[in-house]
Amino acid sequence: MKKSMTYALALTVLTIAVMAAAAVAQESAGMPQAGRLAEQNLRPYWHVFAAYTLVILLIGGWAVSIARRLRAIEERLLD
Amino acid sequence: MSTAGMRRGGTTLTLLGLLGLIALYWMAFFWVPTEVNQGVVQRIFYIHVPAAWTSFLAIGFAALASGMYLWLRDERLDRAALCAVEGGLIFATLVLTTGPLWGKIAWGTYWTWEPRLTLTLLLWFIFIGYFMVRNATEDPEKGKRFAAVVAIVGAIDIPFIHLSVVWFRSLHPEPVVARPDGPTLPGDMLVTLLFGVLVFTVLFFGLFLFRYAVEGLRAEADLRARSAA
Repeated sequence: MKKSMTYALALTVLTIAVMAAAAVAQESAGMPQAGRLAEQNLRPYWHVFAAYTLVILLIGGWAVSIARRLRAIEERLLD
Repeated sequence: MSTAGMRRGGTTLTLLGLLGLIALYWMAFFWVPTEVNQGVVQRIFYIHVPAAWTSFLAIGFAALASGMYLWLRDERLDRAALCAVEGGLIFATLVLTTGPLWGKIAWGTYWTWEPRLTLTLLLWFIFIGYFMVRNATEDPEKGKRFAAVVAIVGAIDIPFIHLSVVWFRSLHPEPVVARPDGPTLPGDMLVTLLFGVLVFTVLFFGLFLFRYAVEGLRAEADLRARSAA
């Protein structure tokens, strides 16, 4: 148990060291950091998803609005 | 066509349109390849252009119905124009919201006062103006006539929107389909775009029929109320 804990701790320290080394290497090479790079790449996706969501919201909203008006008129005719 | 028939037709077309919309989303996200220069943001094109086409179709249809209403004074034509303008406003709003989302990535700005964008915004204001003019008069008949003129003026804006990128120095991309020398899009992109145009058109006519049925029933309810009074 104690041995496996030591291994896990060593692995964690090693992982952090590798990530830190990669970040330092990226910075010194003039490359953007991983977080910033992901943000840059994902930004157009957000715009695409927002545009496709707007289509559903506006067309769906129009359909719901028509259905509500139809129901109101039908109730008025029944009265 | 009877009100029940319109509702049936509207239901069928709307369901077909919704199924088509699911297929369009699948094509736009998983089937069509990513454009080399613009990247993933170019996929907005497959909804932006069909929305623009549908808003043009709506105002063209409304102008035709309005012109015939001014000539024949048939209430059904006025109702058809009203329903088409309402749909046109929805699709024009889509054009003016999806376009800037693309523009922010492609141009670095959501909005610029270049000819096509400005004329499209003018069309949106014409759609809004139609409802304002219609409800601004005390005499409803006069409001309908004024609104019919607004719809006809709106249709005159369409060729200017289409040709503005050719006539003026413009940031907006030039047409890639409706060109004298034929479409310049690769096959799979063209298929996705044309499918989008078909889906938006079917959705527009499906919901238009529903909306027209509402107006038909409203006229019937008003007639009953008047005869009861």
